[in-house]
Amino acid sequence: MKDHFSTFHPIVNFGYFAAILIFSMVFMHPVFQCIALVSAVVYSIMLKGRGAVRFNLLYMVPLLLLTAAMNPAFNHEGVTILFYLSNGNPITLESILFGAAAACMFVTIIIWFSCYNAVMTSDKFIYIFGKIWPALSLIFSMALRFVPRYLTQIRIISGAQKCIGRDVTQGNIWRRARNGIAIVSIMTTWALENAIETADSMKSRGYGLPNRSSFSIFRFDSRDMIVSAAMLGCMSVVLIGAAMGENTIRFFPSVKMIELTPFSVVVYGSYLMLCMMPVIITMVEEIKWKRIESRS
Amino acid sequence: MPDKQLTERHWSKRMLLASVLILLVIPATIMLGVFVLNDRKYYFISLLIVLYTMIPFALVFEKRKPQARELIVIAVMASIAVAGRAAFFMLPQFKPVVAIVIIAGVSLGAEAGFLVGAVAGFVSNFFFGQGPWTPWQMFCFGIIGYLAGILFHKGALGRRRLTLCLFGGLATFVIYGGIINIGSLLMFTSHFSWEALLATYASGFWFDMVHAIATVVFLFFLSRPMLEKLDRIKIKYGLIRAQD
Repeated sequence: MKDHFSTFHPIVNFGYFAAILIFSMVFMHPVFQCIALVSAVVYSIMLKGRGAVRFNLLYMVPLLLLTAAMNPAFNHEGVTILFYLSNGNPITLESILFGAAAACMFVTIIIWFSCYNAVMTSDKFIYIFGKIWPALSLIFSMALRFVPRYLTQIRIISGAQKCIGRDVTQGNIWRRARNGIAIVSIMTTWALENAIETADSMKSRGYGLPNRSSFSIFRFDSRDMIVSAAMLGCMSVVLIGAAMGENTIRFFPSVKMIELTPFSVVVYGSYLMLCMMPVIITMVEEIKWKRIESRS
Repeated sequence: MPDKQLTERHWSKRMLLASVLILLVIPATIMLGVFVLNDRKYYFISLLIVLYTMIPFALVFEKRKPQARELIVIAVMASIAVAGRAAFFMLPQFKPVVAIVIIAGVSLGAEAGFLVGAVAGFVSNFFFGQGPWTPWQMFCFGIIGYLAGILFHKGALGRRRLTLCLFGGLATFVIYGGIINIGSLLMFTSHFSWEALLATYASGFWFDMVHAIATVVFLFFLSRPMLEKLDRIKIKYGLIRAQD
């Protein structure tokens, strides 16, 4: 399935991930954590298909268990003592629960970041920060371009060196190391000379002059408007809930959270809406597309 | 020398901004963590603080409207560092990034050293995956480059291979390892205790050791040719400016 959330304006994408990452880092309430974890997993599978399933099962589940186990080993707070370790330290129910919650949070953030990597491509990032920090964004975008270019150039230089018997695969180990250094050295000279040429070319085309516009393919249209309004609505409900203590949980000395009220259900609902927003958008678009297809 | 005065003014502006951040915003953030978030969100708070420390560099750099040549030399050094990391990716922790950042700091000045480090950390994670560890890596690489520049400027760090290797090894092990381990501990447990920190340092010891050795090896082989090349470029194209 094609992801439709990434076709929205970069500011919508970035704002969504910034909000969701902060919320996932801050809210420790079990309901909120479950909502965030499930949504992150669903979205990552939707974005990357079977690769995401493998990633989540192979890396995230062991990581979850390891992190959950780490906390009770070092943290002995809490009133419900389950048993004592051989060195006399107690293992408490609270520290196990806290460990599980912290592990869940950590894994959720990692999975959200994996979604972020797929949606927020570097061009979107540069588009957003190019306005605030033009010089630094230019450095980022140049560096992103240079890296693959240098790797290719190293291959070219190494091919040329091979013809005269000076590649890293030729000679004894000392010789190979020296050849390697020589290749890096040639690459550096080339890179610096080439860079100065690029800089001069930029200058002669008027880089840094005032009143110059920059190329952008992104347009903030009504669709972005609607989604941002929905996002802000959900966020404000969640934040009001947070201010009223709906999202907090106390672990030590004993586990305690606020009682369930109709309002807390509303808060959970809007958090679910917020976390599932990319998934909902994608599904709605898919249904729309199917309907148009079947009509014709 | 107008050039010199310019850098001094920037220098003091950065100090002013940094001190505002350190004296007002960082304590406010810690207070937020203690009172509003019940003092359990160590990772979130520490992440904010790490980001704050990088803001003065970004703002000052943007403010002085750097020339295209300057931008591009920074981008080149950062890309060489990232390409080096990519070339050695099969050897875990055997990364040339710190070595390149130190060379940049020594040759191009403290500010450029910081930027090369931060950009290298950021850009390399576009290839290896962004995550909650990115700001920590950016900060650690950046601050090592900054220190290298400052120490060189003050005359404490020469261009001799031996001192550079010594500084590189120590900086990688103590600064990079020291800060990154705190970051990963806060990331994993979100509960801070001294035993856990000690355990993290112990488990990270060999990783940091390999990283430090890698830095020393790369500095040993690369420092002289790289510094020579940068000098040549600086003289040939007149990039010499007052070092800050």
